[in-house]
Amino acid sequence: MIRFIAHRLLALVPVLLGVPLFIMLTIDLIPGDPAALMLGEGATEEMVTALRASLDLDKPLLVRYARYVTRLLHGDLGRSIREGRRVNDEIADVWPATAQLAMAALGLAVAVGIPLGVLSARWPNSWFDNVVRVVTLFGLSMPIFWIGLIFIVVFSLWLGWLPPGGRGGLPHLVLPSVTLALPTIAMLARMTRSAMLEVLREDYIRTAHAKGVPGPRVLLRHALRNAFIPVTTVLGLQTGQLLGGAILTETVFSWPGIGRMLVRAIFARDYVLLQGGVLVLALTFVLVNLAVDLSYAYFDPRISYA
Amino acid sequence: MAVLLLTWPAAPRAQAQRSGGTLTIARPVDAVSLDPHFETTAPGAWVYQLILEPLVALGPDMKIKPVLASSYKVLDATRIRFTLRRGVRFHDGTPFNAQAVKFTFERAFDRRNPGRWASLAGPIKGVEVVDDYTVDIVTSEPYAPLLYSVAMVYAGIVSPAAVQRLGPEFSRQPVGTGPFKFQEWRTNDRITVVRNDDYWGPKPYLDRIVFRVIPEESARMIALRTGDVDMVLVPAPAQLGAFRRDPAFTVAEAQGLRVVFVGMNLTRPPLSDVRVRRALVMGTNRKAILDNILEGAGGPADGILAKGVFGYAPMELDKRYPYDPDRARALLQEAGFRPGPDGIMQREGIPLVLTLISARGRYLKDAEIAEAWQAQMRAIGVRVDISFLEWATVFTHVRAATLDYHLFMLGWVTTTADADYSLLPMFRSNMAPPTGWNTWRYVNPEFDRLVDQARVSTKAEERQELYARAQAMIARDIMFIPFYTTKEIAVMRSYVKGFVPHPIEYNQGFAYIWLEK
Repeated sequence: MIRFIAHRLLALVPVLLGVPLFIMLTIDLIPGDPAALMLGEGATEEMVTALRASLDLDKPLLVRYARYVTRLLHGDLGRSIREGRRVNDEIADVWPATAQLAMAALGLAVAVGIPLGVLSARWPNSWFDNVVRVVTLFGLSMPIFWIGLIFIVVFSLWLGWLPPGGRGGLPHLVLPSVTLALPTIAMLARMTRSAMLEVLREDYIRTAHAKGVPGPRVLLRHALRNAFIPVTTVLGLQTGQLLGGAILTETVFSWPGIGRMLVRAIFARDYVLLQGGVLVLALTFVLVNLAVDLSYAYFDPRISYA
Repeated sequence: MAVLLLTWPAAPRAQAQRSGGTLTIARPVDAVSLDPHFETTAPGAWVYQLILEPLVALGPDMKIKPVLASSYKVLDATRIRFTLRRGVRFHDGTPFNAQAVKFTFERAFDRRNPGRWASLAGPIKGVEVVDDYTVDIVTSEPYAPLLYSVAMVYAGIVSPAAVQRLGPEFSRQPVGTGPFKFQEWRTNDRITVVRNDDYWGPKPYLDRIVFRVIPEESARMIALRTGDVDMVLVPAPAQLGAFRRDPAFTVAEAQGLRVVFVGMNLTRPPLSDVRVRRALVMGTNRKAILDNILEGAGGPADGILAKGVFGYAPMELDKRYPYDPDRARALLQEAGFRPGPDGIMQREGIPLVLTLISARGRYLKDAEIAEAWQAQMRAIGVRVDISFLEWATVFTHVRAATLDYHLFMLGWVTTTADADYSLLPMFRSNMAPPTGWNTWRYVNPEFDRLVDQARVSTKAEERQELYARAQAMIARDIMFIPFYTTKEIAVMRSYVKGFVPHPIEYNQGFAYIWLEK
């Protein structure tokens, strides 16, 4: 188990080294000189050259990369080239907001999506099942952006129940987390339903029923636990989706998180800030997947990590 | 050499003004930094202009007014002497004096780390201290618009003690002399400033101004409707009509300084022929585009300079080149073109096809205008092929002098509000990219003489006259079609009083707002 975790953590190293290199290459490929774009119209060639030098943009790619990695080893993500501010501080500012939003959405998705799926599977092709299937299809196909705006119009403008945006207390969290959770709720409900239907056909379920184990107990203890493997996999992937989807949700609901920081970094051509943000997101994604892998062992004792 | 003694215009203080309250303003993006020397975009400038003050400033009437300098005197075309206001202190208690001015200019014009202001301000060499309350600002070559460079919002004087103490953090918590003090910045969410009770000038009414970030256009307007915010900057154009009709709201607007245009590349035939260029202008129905596409969110444009810029003279395009498709077709025929089988004009069997590069969404309605104009050109027998490219690509193509296009859509703002800033780098012969922005490659020695003379002249009337002649030359040789000048528009709840919109998008007048509720 410990060796498995150590292995997986070692596998992080190429990710941490690869992401900054990839971003540097992309920045080099994108047309437009970051220094010229930053100074804008009216800048002389001399000024552009000076700025390029002060940003190290005149150095070869490998030199810039080596410097970045050296700093990274000290846990320093560098300084934003537009603001001169430490990227660590910047991320420390926005990261909690995104984590809060993603966690709220994830919690909501689990609390709503899985029960929906279980109940649908318990009574397949019933009216309940049909309603859930139609509604989840709707939830999967509606763009987050559009749902968010509809929510704002209905719940803020017409009903006046909830604030239209910004980060504050619990009321501020409701609309964005529900919006963000919708596609995941739909995905989880459908996934749970099909996994449950699969499991409910197994012999040991019939055995359990035959033994006289009460229905709900069979459903939750025997079936759901086994259906959880595919559900957990999807959950892990969806967490990544939630972080990505947060960019749109954060925009619609003016939520001050990492997604909007990335958008800002792109517009300002601030590749150091961009690098730091993407790196932190990639790291989170990998760690979440590690947690998912570890949870397999809990749900299915046949899986071992020796 | 005029001596100008100016006094601070008394703020209007009718009986109705009320002190107190918080004003919440929504805008689409957060500031990148609050350091005026390095950050020149509006979202930053809107905030820091309340905190940091320049020596002189451009009022909403586009006249220079004194701020931290009580008077100034133009000594010659390379030197202006400023007398500084006494008894002023920065928010951290540091006294304001000649040393602070010198420190500010040395910091902003540091060759090793040039700021954006330095790239806009012209050949400023530095500050010479005459005595504690007198400084000379000098340029390395004669530069008449110097006063306008010093009057920019980016020229805010910084507290030397705070800069030294805070280092790079200064851009997150600036310290100046302004009517408001920095309080808090929550990235991507809000920036708060509070009233400076020790302000040297007239005290503001508001306790606090909060600048919130609401990126999505409709969400911004909804937040205004629900009362979540009191004022919206960069409103949704399509919703302006509804807000104008609703008495619960006020719409304030000022003519902006940016002109959005389609430029022609004179090195590419057939645009090297002035008859073809004139035909394109005469085939363009500029009014239809203004009325139908911009819907009141842009104003008419008659030249590369907007009204309000010093040196502006109308090009009289409506008189010189009135919309007349028949005349446009006739001009093309004079240039040797004949209608082809598909309605596109041809010369020696080659159809008249022009390529236009444009960004999508860089300027208000840029893509829509390009497409409407394409249809208008089709009607006079010119086929326009549009390449919509990412903004950085358009910028690079136009700046790097790649010649594979005929036409380009661009917006230009006369940032210093002085004609020199536009006419010299955009039209002087030696200013072809990448040196300058003569993106059309206009070569006219006579024109060059006029703008050179105007740059060193210290007499305002003479400069005005020279610029008028220069603009008449551009109108004659026509190389761009101006579509609109931007408007600076704010929508607010009608209890928000005393807001003065400013032609320069960065200089919005938030300082003396009061709330009547």
